[in-house]
Amino acid sequence: MADWVKVATVEDCPPGEFRALAAGRERIVLCNVDGDFHALQDRCSHEDLPLSNGDLEGTEFLCIHHGARFDVCTGRALCLPALRPVSVYDVEIRDGDVYVRAG
Amino acid sequence: MAESTEIEGVTEVFNRTAVEARSANEPEWLAARRAHAWTVYEGLPMPTTRLEEWRYTDLRRALDLEALHLGSVDPLPDDPSSYPALLRATMDEDHEAAGHLVIIDGAVVHTDIREDLASRGVVLMPLREAIHAHSDLVEQYLATEAVPPEESKFAALNAALWSDGIFLYVPRGVRLKNPIRVTRWVGEAGAAFFSRTLIVAESTSQVSYVDEVVSDDFDTQTFASSAVEVIAKDGAQVQYVALQRLGRGAFYQSEQRTLAGRDATLDTLNVSLGASVSRVDLNARLLGPGSNSDMLGLYFGADDQHFDHNTSQDHVAPHSHSDLLYKGALDDASRAAFRGIIRVHKGAQQTDAYQTNRNLLLSEDARADSLPNLEIEADDVKCSHGSTVGQLDDEQLFYLMSRGLPREKAERLVVLGFLGEVLSRLPLGGVVEKVTRAIEEKLRA
Amino acid sequence: MPQNEVIQGLDLDEYKYGFVDEEQHVFRTQPGLSEEVVRQISAQKDEPEWMLEFRLKALKIYESKPMPEWGGDLSTLEETLDEIYFYVRPQDQMERSWDDVPENIKNTFEKLGIPEAEQKVLAGVGAQYESEMVYHSLKKEWEDKGVIFDSIEDGLKNHPELFRKYFGTIIPSADNKFSAMNSAVWSGGSFVYIPKGVELETPLQAYFRVNQERMGQFERTLIIADEGSRAHYIEGCTAPTYSTESFHSGVIEIVVNKGAHFRYTTIQNWSTNMYNLVTQRALVHERATMEWLDGNLGSKLTMKYPSCYLVGEGAHGNILSIAYSGDGQHQDTGGKVVHAAPHTTSSIVSKSISKGTGRSSYRGLCKVYDGAVGAKSNVECDALLINETSRTDTYPYIEIEEKRSNIGHEATVSKVGDEQLFYLMSRGMSEEEAMALIVRGFIEPIAKLLPLEYAVELNRLIELEMEGSVG
Repeated sequence: MADWVKVATVEDCPPGEFRALAAGRERIVLCNVDGDFHALQDRCSHEDLPLSNGDLEGTEFLCIHHGARFDVCTGRALCLPALRPVSVYDVEIRDGDVYVRAG
Repeated sequence: MAESTEIEGVTEVFNRTAVEARSANEPEWLAARRAHAWTVYEGLPMPTTRLEEWRYTDLRRALDLEALHLGSVDPLPDDPSSYPALLRATMDEDHEAAGHLVIIDGAVVHTDIREDLASRGVVLMPLREAIHAHSDLVEQYLATEAVPPEESKFAALNAALWSDGIFLYVPRGVRLKNPIRVTRWVGEAGAAFFSRTLIVAESTSQVSYVDEVVSDDFDTQTFASSAVEVIAKDGAQVQYVALQRLGRGAFYQSEQRTLAGRDATLDTLNVSLGASVSRVDLNARLLGPGSNSDMLGLYFGADDQHFDHNTSQDHVAPHSHSDLLYKGALDDASRAAFRGIIRVHKGAQQTDAYQTNRNLLLSEDARADSLPNLEIEADDVKCSHGSTVGQLDDEQLFYLMSRGLPREKAERLVVLGFLGEVLSRLPLGGVVEKVTRAIEEKLRA
Repeated sequence: MPQNEVIQGLDLDEYKYGFVDEEQHVFRTQPGLSEEVVRQISAQKDEPEWMLEFRLKALKIYESKPMPEWGGDLSTLEETLDEIYFYVRPQDQMERSWDDVPENIKNTFEKLGIPEAEQKVLAGVGAQYESEMVYHSLKKEWEDKGVIFDSIEDGLKNHPELFRKYFGTIIPSADNKFSAMNSAVWSGGSFVYIPKGVELETPLQAYFRVNQERMGQFERTLIIADEGSRAHYIEGCTAPTYSTESFHSGVIEIVVNKGAHFRYTTIQNWSTNMYNLVTQRALVHERATMEWLDGNLGSKLTMKYPSCYLVGEGAHGNILSIAYSGDGQHQDTGGKVVHAAPHTTSSIVSKSISKGTGRSSYRGLCKVYDGAVGAKSNVECDALLINETSRTDTYPYIEIEEKRSNIGHEATVSKVGDEQLFYLMSRGMSEEEAMALIVRGFIEPIAKLLPLEYAVELNRLIELEMEGSVG
């Protein structure tokens, strides 16, 4: 099991925004959906391109490369051309810091 | 993310100072060539998966230049008893040879060539010596026509930082009965080694060359970079064989180019069995009318090994012929990418060019990607390509099992038979047995 | 050499659809693409607010995406697009009877043989002129069975729920630069719904005509073939030849539900000043079959790779691509099959002919996801070269994650064989006839899948392309 890694503070990523970060060796996208934090692997399941070039829209993450959409809570693919989910990681808030367990 | 002011691939270790250190005691032309190569390197971006040629190998994940140091280049004493056991074992397998050369880490430690051949002008020597002893030839061919730094980021890096290598020269009309055998050992974990091979076969000469690289497993990433230039003049016949059996933890990268003159035959075989990540770029240029190139490849992956073969067949002259066959078996979570292109240039009429890539998936987690491409700009040609991905042939398996073989053994035989087709096309003393044994070992593991 | 003369003769390309009508429109936007243009198009259509937002967002995506650096030569496209009319409205409303269509437009479609074909062999016809559908009609017997065949605008108006459920989900705006452009400025195209179990015996046809010089046409089609249904949709396209360049970029989204069978045929015969950059994709469910028959004869540059996403067990995809590239033409075509469910099967057959300075490129993808056990796919490409200045390329991508699958790809390139020619001539044919026969044999696979009238038409077209005054 991977270790918890501190990736940011809560202030670093306000509601409705996302940040591309490193959690250990893994690159992640940290999303703040109305105060709830979610972490996705920064890699679209359609082609191996970074998700973080795209945009967070509500609870969906849009991959700008080919328009795939993912549910940021579950990683589920919501439309073509993606057919597979992206990995999601556990997130915990401790004393205003955001911890992610990735990899 | 790298800051925009940083130059991609320039680190505390890989920088202009290191290049200048390499140039000490070298002829001026070479120092200038290294400096130029470094400028080219700095000007080229690090390849990403957005590039067609690197679509399936993500260097961000596969190679960490920051963590590497430059390997030592001081030659060890030429004392076979001090060689690592695996290297000795590898050399013991070698059959009759016209000459030997041994490289340990970055430096040549041993060279021998049969006297009768030496007296007829055949040269086999460390590249570091050849830059002085045969400066005219080396200056003419080294990183100029075949693998110039402009070719790619890695070609530039190698041209700037190579420490040693092989120079083989076969004069006009001289035909070698037995192969030249080169054995390399990589021992220093966490290091980066850069070597070059330069083979010049003058017209109507004949030579075969077998280059094998071996190592133990590494616990930190170790980088072996190789640039290979093979030049066959009119009517020459050359066979180039590269066997890669590095341990896990190695990142192996080899940039090869062959130039075939009029009526020359220039055949290659690349066998990739080892390393964690192995990337081979091979460009065959058919420059003379009537030139011919058989291009063979074989790979067998296990664990999480990653093989990437990127080949091209450039038909520049008319009446030339090339035939490529790359076959691979992939077990466990290994994956292989093959990208090959046949280019028939304008005016290269009566070209025959073929390209076949076949992959066998032995495990649920294995993956194969295959991109066989054609670009044809002449009409009077015969060109075709084929690519398949599949699993073990059940019929063959059941047949063998019905003959009393246990399943495991039957599977081994079918895989060997599948890969063996490649070896049967380039029968070379000792190579077939050696590769077969290496595959068998891997199948048993 | 006599054969050279024949080849010279064959260079004479004749395009019989190059006639021009008198220009007539009730509204058109300023040349070029801007937010203002997008808002005007939206206003012309009196559409819901969400669609305007969809368009504006797509425009942003379009602007953010770089021009593709692969495929054809798009180096001067940006300048061309600045001169293009993105929206031209030819008449006030769409008609249900040819008698109500303005005379000159009706004449155009009569010259193209559409009303006649409608009588004889079609279940329904849609006709687009410039940016709008000017005519749309479906035979009553199919209407009674619940078939919907309408303009895309009426689809949005009359079936908003069905429309919104699927629109932009098969091909999202951000899929590629031109799907983004289409999503911003789409106008015209068809909305098709085939109800459960309904089998259409004759095809539906949509015909696309561009008349205006420097015109951009952006039709958008959404098709839903419900469970167990069966239908065939044919699209045809032509335009006059101008010295300036024109532009066509369509987006075709198709859903083929469980057990349904849908065939989409394109006979693309744009004039050779047309850029034709089209995205076509089908989502194919359990035991359903999708067939793309893609015939590309015209245009300056076509980039189009119809695709099948096989997401249900036992789904089948079939792509047949025929390309003809004459002087100065580049057909960059092919197909994509994505296997994402067990026992899915697919086949891609691509045949191309390159003549003169023509270039035909096959570009395709065969992807098998982990878990698509028993997937089978076969790809065959066959390229014919007629002159030494002709060019062909093959760029397949084969990506296989599933061990229990069987995937093959083969391609061959050949010259029109001297032996073949010689044999036919020894049977009393002229060289020109022999050449035309060989080429016809080459396109036979697509011709035989078309209704007879269309097959005859396609053959005539090829003959015209091949015909020339020998000597």
